[in-house]
Amino acid sequence: MRTRLRWLLALGAIVALALTVSACGDDSDSGSSSSSSSAGGDFAPPTEAPSDAKQGGDLTVIAASDVDYIDPGAQYYQFSYMVSSATQSNLESYAPADVEEATPLLATDHPTVSDDGKTITYTLRDDVMYSPAPPDGDQSWKPRAATAADVKYAIERSLLPGVPNGYVQTYLAGVEGIDKAVKEAQANPTGGPPDISGITAPDDTTLEIKLTNTTSLGVIGALTLPVSAPIPEEYAKQYDAENPSTYGEHQLSTGPYMIENYTPNKEIALVRNPNWKAGEGDFRPAYLDNITFQEGFADTVSAGKKVLAGSAQVNGDFSAPPSVIKQAATSGEEGQLTVTPSGGNRYIALNTQEPPFDDINIRKAVIAGTNRTDLRNTRGGELVGPVATHFLPPDFPGFEEAGGLEGTGLDFLSNPDGDADVSAEYFKKAGMSSGKCEGSDCEITMVGDDSPPGSDTAEVFKNQLEAMGFTVNFQKVTHDIMYTKFCSVPANAPDVCPNVGWLKDFNDGQSMLDPTFNGQNVVPENNSNWPQLNVPEINKAIDDAALIDNLDERNQAWGDVDTQITEQAPAVPWVWDNQANIASADVAGVINKFNANWDLSFTSLK
Amino acid sequence: MARYIVRRMLWSVLLLILVSAVVFILFYVFPSADPAQLRAGRQANEDQIQAIRESLGLDHSVLTQFWIYIKGVFTPLDLPGTDAHGPLYFGRSYQSNADVFDVIKADLPATVMLVIGAVVIWLAIAIPVGIISAIKSRSLLDRTTMITTLAFISAPVFWLGLVALYLFAQDVGLIPIFPGIGSYAEADSFAGKVGSMLLPWFVLAAATAAIYARYLRSQMIDVMGEDYIRTARAKGLPEKRVIMKHALRSAITPIVTLLGLDVAVLLAGNAILTETVFNIPGVGAETYNAIKRSDLPMIQGITLFGAFFIVTLNLVVDIAYAYLDPRVRYE
Repeated sequence: MRTRLRWLLALGAIVALALTVSACGDDSDSGSSSSSSSAGGDFAPPTEAPSDAKQGGDLTVIAASDVDYIDPGAQYYQFSYMVSSATQSNLESYAPADVEEATPLLATDHPTVSDDGKTITYTLRDDVMYSPAPPDGDQSWKPRAATAADVKYAIERSLLPGVPNGYVQTYLAGVEGIDKAVKEAQANPTGGPPDISGITAPDDTTLEIKLTNTTSLGVIGALTLPVSAPIPEEYAKQYDAENPSTYGEHQLSTGPYMIENYTPNKEIALVRNPNWKAGEGDFRPAYLDNITFQEGFADTVSAGKKVLAGSAQVNGDFSAPPSVIKQAATSGEEGQLTVTPSGGNRYIALNTQEPPFDDINIRKAVIAGTNRTDLRNTRGGELVGPVATHFLPPDFPGFEEAGGLEGTGLDFLSNPDGDADVSAEYFKKAGMSSGKCEGSDCEITMVGDDSPPGSDTAEVFKNQLEAMGFTVNFQKVTHDIMYTKFCSVPANAPDVCPNVGWLKDFNDGQSMLDPTFNGQNVVPENNSNWPQLNVPEINKAIDDAALIDNLDERNQAWGDVDTQITEQAPAVPWVWDNQANIASADVAGVINKFNANWDLSFTSLK
Repeated sequence: MARYIVRRMLWSVLLLILVSAVVFILFYVFPSADPAQLRAGRQANEDQIQAIRESLGLDHSVLTQFWIYIKGVFTPLDLPGTDAHGPLYFGRSYQSNADVFDVIKADLPATVMLVIGAVVIWLAIAIPVGIISAIKSRSLLDRTTMITTLAFISAPVFWLGLVALYLFAQDVGLIPIFPGIGSYAEADSFAGKVGSMLLPWFVLAAATAAIYARYLRSQMIDVMGEDYIRTARAKGLPEKRVIMKHALRSAITPIVTLLGLDVAVLLAGNAILTETVFNIPGVGAETYNAIKRSDLPMIQGITLFGAFFIVTLNLVVDIAYAYLDPRVRYE
């Protein structure tokens, strides 16, 4: 009874604090959209190390799976960034509390942008040394300081087919000469990185990037990611001559730690980089001596319990499941559980190109009739995050401009529990006098996950659709098959994809809305615009917003784009995910709000 | 006998090629995720995906891919577009680019340790229980052991594993006496690794021991009714000698067949649930990851290894048969 009471109190505190904090904003964050929906109280993410943080100690990161790539040029996943943020020095990177703007790291300051908005200039530190070669690397390597030419090389090699980077060609599309370089790389995959004429290194500490348009903020945003970590050509070219490149397995480090051992699916062992020095230019204190990623914990419940009961452990690539959250909230010590907005959303995509969802009134009717609270319950309820009312997530530029937690005030999204009357009105507007779906078009297809919690969400939505008059042919497949064979292949796309969502690439609206709702980005395979929304006004608004290089104006523009998209009802937004992180009682953990996970360069042991 | 063994080995090669073909067909006929898209990342364009497809060799026809694979595994011929050549070249993992053969070799020690320990435990439990139940057939002891074995057979391994963890693991258990989840990788000595295996051994052995005990009991009951057992008793042989020398030797022959197959299947990655629950970095855990990521070369390599173990251990069992049962002769 007592335990249950504690649990209920804890739950209530989280919800209340989440709402309060999001309504009040967070003074520590600057900028126009600084409000936060972070869960507060005992579970607010700590973003500073304690003043008496202990130096030394070994930490184990418990993970279910492996990184997507160990090569910083190809990494494109939060968990992978946990590794690279400790081992590499990007031009700029996100310090734990950063939400709006990154902090210079390899660069001495934020980059300057020319008056015409078409030239970005970074000035680099001259004291960032490379690590020695790892045990199985080329031992003839003599460590030296990183230079601007190394950053140029790092970006150029990301175009090689052997370094399958998933974002550079999207966000750096405005860089002069990139199209030609892409073609060269594809024509000669093992011939070394192609030259991108728009990127130059006039001297060791100056990097200039020339653009064909004013997409500088998108480029600067993308260069906060690990692709901008320097790589010396003389060391890496032997590995980049292979396809796929094996540089990742032999990589050098410019961060506080270096990779001593990487065994895929099993272990990543980090040790101190002997050539790294804490200094004015590097904001990372790096308290720990050794960090070991232990992978393969497929059952995240027992993995979570192990972390809570163990010593010097934190979770890695998984959010704590509900039973572990409950245990941490009721019987854990302070700081063992933190809840952080992940910077992502989940929604149900409605195929806007095929009947019946090519009719906006039917889409609105479905959204109005959907009980999004019930959908959220399939993933664990309130702790999972707020019920979404639009697409930009909390703690994200443009979120407030798009209406914050309350949303845009659209009638079909106003009631998170669903509104049958509003739904019926829209069905009637679509010519269905019964207030429910009528006719042969109401026999629809849906392809979703075959295992919980995704399959539960899909089943609940299926029931809700059937209550609205639809007949649903639901095919269950694995999550990967759902994307690569159905939802991301427009030719095979079903009417409904119930298990899709998007996580930011960096803190800019472009990384959330351009790939997912720009009609020009609908492609035959690997398509991320799952509703296949193609509204010329929205496409133009997205293109225009990407060219704005004033931060406040840009955030407003992305907020407006979000509103326009939401008005088109292409999908049912139902949750903005939180990431629940857990740590052993003897860990003084620090959360990086950008990555919504432990910042290993700030975390220490008590 | 030598001719028989050589003939069996030649058939084994043919069987392994057939197994490879079946896995290829299964991978392409049934829906599976596109490995190139999975590797490309969520914003990769068509050209990037095509480039990855080419680098993985997925741009060739299925038949060509199959031929390249067979060439790599069974022949010393060079493989197009790579520095690699066979034999025993199983390709590289789509996910990690690691050499499949190296990965399996690295995984085998953990799996072998798990299987050997479990086999010892299940035989140590099953043989006495089976014999005693058969001798004391229909007694309270017999009924109790048979109900208990039925319970263990009915319990899925993953469930039993989790229950064992939550009861006895040092990190998450109520009675923390055994090393818990992930302890195999943490252990840096042989003794530590043995300790980390105690709980998985018992879990993996539980269901199998129960099956073996019931099987042996039924065999023993049949054998104990045979004329030659009555004759042995009539000759005045001590009951212990009748049971151990005459009855058990005959009853255990089918158990040996079963054991050969079970060991082979477990070495082939079928300890997948035990290894996954306890996070033992063996072939089973590798199988789980490979299936999750549509990593065909890894799935293919593990399947072939499994088939190899099954074929080999079957051969060993057949030879052992000849020694256990004098009536069996191979030509």
